[in-house]
Amino acid sequence: MRKTYRYRNLSFAITDEEEAKFTVEFISDGNEGQTVINIPGDKDPEIDDEGTVSLGKGKDLRSDTTISFSDMSNALPEEDEIRIRYKINNRTIKEHVNKKSVEDKPIIILFIKFPKS
Amino acid sequence: MKTFFLISFAVFTSMILNAQDNLKDITAPTSPASSVLGIESSTVLTPKSYQALETALYSNFLNEDGSVIIPNDFALEFTPYWTKNHGLSLEEYLYPKSLVDQLIRSSSFSLASTQNFLLGDSTKTNGIAFGYRATFFIGNKNDRKTITKYRDKLAANQLALARIGAEAELLVLKDHINNKSDFIKGIENTITSAIKSYVKDISQDDAEKYTKEIFEDVNQLPELNKDNPDSFLDSLYRIVDSNIDTTDVFEKFKSYINKRQGFSLDVAYGILFNFPTNNFEFSYGPRQSFWLTPTYRFKDEWSKLKAMAVLRYEWYNTDYYKRYFPDATVYENNFSYGIAIAGEFKKFTLQFEYVGRSSNSETPTGAFVNGKETYTKDTYSDIQYSGTFSYRLSDQLVISYSLGKQFEPIMNPENTLISLLSLNYGFGSPTKENLKK
Repeated sequence: MRKTYRYRNLSFAITDEEEAKFTVEFISDGNEGQTVINIPGDKDPEIDDEGTVSLGKGKDLRSDTTISFSDMSNALPEEDEIRIRYKINNRTIKEHVNKKSVEDKPIIILFIKFPKS
Repeated sequence: MKTFFLISFAVFTSMILNAQDNLKDITAPTSPASSVLGIESSTVLTPKSYQALETALYSNFLNEDGSVIIPNDFALEFTPYWTKNHGLSLEEYLYPKSLVDQLIRSSSFSLASTQNFLLGDSTKTNGIAFGYRATFFIGNKNDRKTITKYRDKLAANQLALARIGAEAELLVLKDHINNKSDFIKGIENTITSAIKSYVKDISQDDAEKYTKEIFEDVNQLPELNKDNPDSFLDSLYRIVDSNIDTTDVFEKFKSYINKRQGFSLDVAYGILFNFPTNNFEFSYGPRQSFWLTPTYRFKDEWSKLKAMAVLRYEWYNTDYYKRYFPDATVYENNFSYGIAIAGEFKKFTLQFEYVGRSSNSETPTGAFVNGKETYTKDTYSDIQYSGTFSYRLSDQLVISYSLGKQFEPIMNPENTLISLLSLNYGFGSPTKENLKK
């Protein structure tokens, strides 16, 4: 059974007009995966493998918990860990790491609040 | 020539009925150091960092008073490139831009040692060996097509699950979702839309069928516990994964990466040092080996076929062998070469191989009056070829038959016919590798 890693109670203080940019950065070699970020409203951004997307302005992110859901995998035979860094506006909010011997296709979920700074 | 007929029953892990060099014996080994030293260590250390490498060397090669020792039954393999993260994408890994990239990534160094290196008179001495190995791969259009198919399918499945998961995780936090029925109503449209929009290579009818099956399975789940919804959600993800075959696709992809269609070339080198008096300051380098193994895996309907050629050159220090192995016949330059084609077709396995060896030594015999040295040259050559047909009678029972010519045996040089029927029984599923003799 696939292992799910949930990281709750993450928080990123932001002003009303500041734009939140969410980044998935692969640190270990050979990672692949899809990330969907559930933000208030209908248009949930997606990240194919790694990259940065806009989540919108701070004031639009306060009504609900923002959830980042990543379905990841690593098929590279020489790599023994999966290490992925999640950032908002270039600041790391979580660095996920797990041994591939434990799970080589982890599900990684972040629960993020955006309080007023 | 004499024909011999043999039926053997053996546990499939160790069947050595014909101990002459076959193609597998002369193929580039995983650890060239262990190969030239002639040991098979029970464990091979594979440090993943320079710090771990340092610890492995210090703890094994230094004794308590700080002096250097040769550890017994020691084997280590170190691949420098993979000691640190590079953020290398799978795309870059699968399709390196240059041969230099491949050389850097695949270069591995091996070290092996023993305190039981036996000389000709059975004296135990210390031996240490160093090895190097690199692999180069050149894919083809079919390889790229196959990889693209796996990656696209995997990415589409991952996106479908990420869409469903991002919605599901938020939904269980909502006040109006109190039980499984509320949850299913809330997630229904997301699942339907994700399966139809993202899962590749299925028809609209199949998408509806998958969606229906997912809901049937979700309905069978225990009641949603709002205070601890994680196990319920994990079960939902497992159901989705199982219906869209994500795990199956990923496992096949991983397996394919290890056996890609195309041409690969293994290059390896190993050198042995022996301390015949067990004095660290007196050593010989009695043997060096160099391997070159080009392999081609066929495409599509021929993907079960593999063609391989092997070239091994070994150099022996004849002075050393004359001194410490006086009864052995050893040549200075030794070439072994072979080709093989092997295929697996459902229950059948077929393998044809041809192996040749050629050795020579030059011995100084004196000098002409003009001072130019004279030599005698001793040469030796021989060939072996065979075809093996195997049929899997059951998961634990394989019957195989080999026919061909073996190298001339020392004791009875005319007895070169291979005609061997064997029945192989094991507590597992035998493979063609287990059937090698």
